[in-house]
Amino acid sequence: MNIKKYFQLYSLFNYTSFAIEMEYKINILIDLITAIFGLIGSIFLLSIFFDNSNLIGGWSFEQALIIQGIYTILNGVTNTWFSPNLKEIVKYIREGTLDFVLIKPVDSQFWISFKRISPSGLIEIIIGLLVLIYCLVINEIDISFSLIILLSMTLLCSISILYSLWFLISTTTIWFVKTWNATEVLRSFLYVGRFPLSSFSFSLRLFFSTVIPITFITTIPSELILGIAPIWKIILELVVSYIFISMSRRFWKYALKFYSSASS
Amino acid sequence: MDKIIDVNNLSKSFEVSSKEPGIKGTIKHFFKRKIKKINVINDINFEIREGEIVGFLGANGAGKTTILKILCGLLYPSKGYISVSGYRPFERKQDFLKNITLIMGQKQQLIWDLPPMDSFYLNAAIYGIEKNKAQKRIDELSEMLEIKEELYLPVRKLSLGQRMKAELLAALIHKPKILFLDEPTLGLDINAQTNLRRFLKVYNKETGATILLTSHYMKDITYLCKRVICIHNGYIQYDGKLNRLLTQLTPNKDLSIICKTIKDVRSLSKLGYKVKNKTSNEITLTINKNEITKVLKEIVNKFDIEDIHINEPPIDETVGKILINKI
Amino acid sequence: MSKSFLYKINTLLKIQYSNMLEYRVEIALWAISGIIPFFMLNIWTNNGLNESINLSKIMLSRYFISAFFVRQFSVVWVVFTFEEDALLGKLSPYLIQPLHPFFRYFAQHIAEQLTRLPFALLIALIFFILNPESFWIPAVKTTIFAGLATFLSFLIQFLMQSVIATFCFWTEKASSIEKLLFIPTLFLSGLLAPVSSFPEFVKSWVYFTPFPYLINFPANLLSGNDPNIISGICMQLIWVIIFFCIFAKTWKSGTKKFTAMGL
Repeated sequence: MNIKKYFQLYSLFNYTSFAIEMEYKINILIDLITAIFGLIGSIFLLSIFFDNSNLIGGWSFEQALIIQGIYTILNGVTNTWFSPNLKEIVKYIREGTLDFVLIKPVDSQFWISFKRISPSGLIEIIIGLLVLIYCLVINEIDISFSLIILLSMTLLCSISILYSLWFLISTTTIWFVKTWNATEVLRSFLYVGRFPLSSFSFSLRLFFSTVIPITFITTIPSELILGIAPIWKIILELVVSYIFISMSRRFWKYALKFYSSASS
Repeated sequence: MDKIIDVNNLSKSFEVSSKEPGIKGTIKHFFKRKIKKINVINDINFEIREGEIVGFLGANGAGKTTILKILCGLLYPSKGYISVSGYRPFERKQDFLKNITLIMGQKQQLIWDLPPMDSFYLNAAIYGIEKNKAQKRIDELSEMLEIKEELYLPVRKLSLGQRMKAELLAALIHKPKILFLDEPTLGLDINAQTNLRRFLKVYNKETGATILLTSHYMKDITYLCKRVICIHNGYIQYDGKLNRLLTQLTPNKDLSIICKTIKDVRSLSKLGYKVKNKTSNEITLTINKNEITKVLKEIVNKFDIEDIHINEPPIDETVGKILINKI
Repeated sequence: MSKSFLYKINTLLKIQYSNMLEYRVEIALWAISGIIPFFMLNIWTNNGLNESINLSKIMLSRYFISAFFVRQFSVVWVVFTFEEDALLGKLSPYLIQPLHPFFRYFAQHIAEQLTRLPFALLIALIFFILNPESFWIPAVKTTIFAGLATFLSFLIQFLMQSVIATFCFWTEKASSIEKLLFIPTLFLSGLLAPVSSFPEFVKSWVYFTPFPYLINFPANLLSGNDPNIISGICMQLIWVIIFFCIFAKTWKSGTKKFTAMGL
């Protein structure tokens, strides 16, 4: 595994992606407006909830906004790296050009994961960061060095878990080609990540901690900011993200094996 | 020349689910699928030496593309031992992949919205070629392919022929030892086809690269390949020199004689050779290739004739016979 | 003449149904992705928010399951199919057939709803197993009107999206525009929160838009919240007519441009 080569490839992938996106500038604008509308709509929904109660699941409105910020950052990450690449692999399978990827002396999972990047997602990440900074101010959070380190770590874990979920869907294109619907299921389940986990009933909380790991993705980083996240949760997130990443790799190798024995 | 590809007892089968038409069939299919096993390739053996250009002939579904994909490492064989350039293809080792290239007709690897140059630099990085070496290589190949300014236009703005040239360049930038071509001239116009063939022949001569190609277009095969492997229903029907195959299939030539009198036409028809057709002043005889010279002498000595034409039955027709297994 | 038209529609439906059965996995997934309303319901009831909008937990549950059903049978995706067909060059053959291409898409949608029915029923069953106290069987009259309102909601959304689909004649961004416009639909239609819970100033203008009539009105009908049936249906009909006229216009100028200059 030549790290230098993969680094060079990654920057080339980014360069070619940006160059392609620049050919279609309006795309970027529309995607961005969509992201902003989504944020506004969710805050609208949140305000409806809080119109009728001061606390939801033990969280105040200002605190719940933190989760919205984290969610927006993670949504931005998804739109920057995960969904563009999912579209690419669907194209490869449909046009029969996955063979060109497999025949190159490059790890195919690397290629499928990083070939494309979408600039509008990057802007969404920045918007999420801005919302987060606003929340830090209105909640009067002390920004310590350890907070930043731990926050970056948990966010990285959340991103890894998200990546694995998306990549698992990308892998299923090899069987199903049209993954649009699987993507919709994932998106709809992840949508609940916009709200505090404790606002749900016990059984759903259980569901969201095990089957679809929403707890890890948005709640743990938010709890960290509010200073109410115990260390064991953070360690648990590390473990879970490692499990998910290795699952995605295994599943990809399995899918390739299937592809190599059954395609025509 | 050394053996570079060695195939022993190769077999490959797929499992396919079948569905009956209509609503009843769809509902049955919903609940229970019928799985059928299809043997695409059955126990084939062949060897290819370095520098050869070999053509794979066969009808659609005969197994040509499957063989090619197995040799590239894109498909796992069901049974058999294969060695390509000293490697087992499906292990997909980096050094193996750096020595081969795949070109598929009607399928492109160039990035659609960007100039080919960007795709070239990307490929160069993938194969670990330094930028200046890559630039030199691009210059060499673009001269051979006769394409220059077009490399700086987005691929979507190029004509099909230009795109094909750019695809070739991208595929050859890493100086592969073995070229796999799957229906490379599919969809190209006559000029583009001729250019591709010429280029491949020159490339093979200058670099000694081994070329394997599958094609439906006879001109591809006859121009490029001294050796052909004919596949039918997953079995090798013929493996050897193209010339010999053609001679086997078409041992005859047609002799068209334009006579001065109808009496001559009648006499010629009674010589004992097969008459293909005859009019009031022209007669066509089918003569075995070995006897042509003898017959010509006979005719010229005994008859006073206007004109003579010697015709080969068209190659396409001939090889078409292979495709429907009339060997 | 109408006999052959019926025969065409019949065949179209049969084939599309057969087509849709091929995609049963996709459709099952699609049905599952519709369960967001249940998660929202959970937030509502778990935090006692329903009290401030004067709805009992049971009525709210019924509202959300009704919203789920209405959504399942009014979901529209014509813009994506149309855009794909336009890009793949399939439009030309469709345009020379003696049948408006959108009938084809309409048939696809109806067939898909039929395919989806078993999955929706399964999900409803699970819902009632988990919430037995909310179970109810609506009166026949209510069901008929709710069915009509749902169909009208489907029609409105189908026509709305068809208008956006015709934008394909002028831009490649039609599906992105749809995704953008979907957001107000999602939030303002009552899928995630009943319109009665909206803040006053939003309520003052939202009834002038088609959105509340897409989910909120049919769901209220079905769950027995007794909205004004006649005025609701009338408003739906008005929106159907409005969007039909807009669609007819954009389709005409779109095909004119297409036949003059291609895409």
